[in-house]
Amino acid sequence: MTGDRCQVSGVGRGVEMLDLGVIDYAEAFRVQEDILKKRINGQAPDTLIVLEHHPVVTRGRLSDDNDVLDREYFADKGIPVIRTGRGGKITYHAPGQLVLYPIVDLSEKKKDVSFYIDFLEKTVAGTLRGMGVAAGRNVRRRGVWAGGRKIAFIGIALKKWVTYHGVAVNIGNDLEPFGKIDPCGEGDIEATSVEEMLGRKIDMSMARKAFARRFAEDLRKEYGTYEDKAE
Amino acid sequence: MKIRLNDLLEGAKEATITAWHVDERGRVSKDQDMVEVATDKATFDVPSPCDGVVAKIFKREGETVKTDEAIAEITDDRKQKTEDR
Repeated sequence: MTGDRCQVSGVGRGVEMLDLGVIDYAEAFRVQEDILKKRINGQAPDTLIVLEHHPVVTRGRLSDDNDVLDREYFADKGIPVIRTGRGGKITYHAPGQLVLYPIVDLSEKKKDVSFYIDFLEKTVAGTLRGMGVAAGRNVRRRGVWAGGRKIAFIGIALKKWVTYHGVAVNIGNDLEPFGKIDPCGEGDIEATSVEEMLGRKIDMSMARKAFARRFAEDLRKEYGTYEDKAE
Repeated sequence: MKIRLNDLLEGAKEATITAWHVDERGRVSKDQDMVEVATDKATFDVPSPCDGVVAKIFKREGETVKTDEAIAEITDDRKQKTEDR
């Protein structure tokens, strides 16, 4: 397996971070599946995969054909549109967008899917606020929002209570392709990014570290009580 | 025992049945994946809470269900054995 591994512990139980750099969707999915199987069998720790994808449109389990608004746009640019097994509808990935795929065993924490999605939204919004972006959640719509536009997109899956897939955060990626799909199938969503909100360039390696550190801290805070009870 | 989704999805109101992994009248083991469901942001497999037989499947693939609705019924082996005595 390729990628740089490091521990982002120091907050109770460690979470391992695996940085896959910029990688094709299919290759990254194989890595996810490998770690997922190992986590289910107790052969791997909770792991946060961080990466950027080469340009790709991904469709979730509930996506339909109407979610792609301009097929020619993606065909002309050679951007594949692929189906995936994650939840959610449709989204776009490209370099400059930070993708977090947590492989976390919820069976030893709290078995509640909605609680986990809340946790992801809170940790992403918290990290963005730490970077200076006025980001938050919307009680009526999933994801993370900034200035009335969507800045982070969530689509997860679970097997045996171990999570995979995750959340994509627009840091400095091109936003035009979001106008060529119906992001999340919600009809009227506009996308934004950290760089657009702050009006300056963001170092992706700094962003990777900030999200990984906050994720590990929040995992302990949000789930620590449940984990302690299970011990 | 009726199977509902609200224990797994406290914050969600509905979900879509995307794939059944078991058949009516088939045997299931505790923790065996029974059915894949999808909410607006998640897909996951629902495990059987006990050993038993799938007595009835109430909701088919493609159907959207409220999380407090029963999607299937399992005859619990342990309960059945107790009643047989």
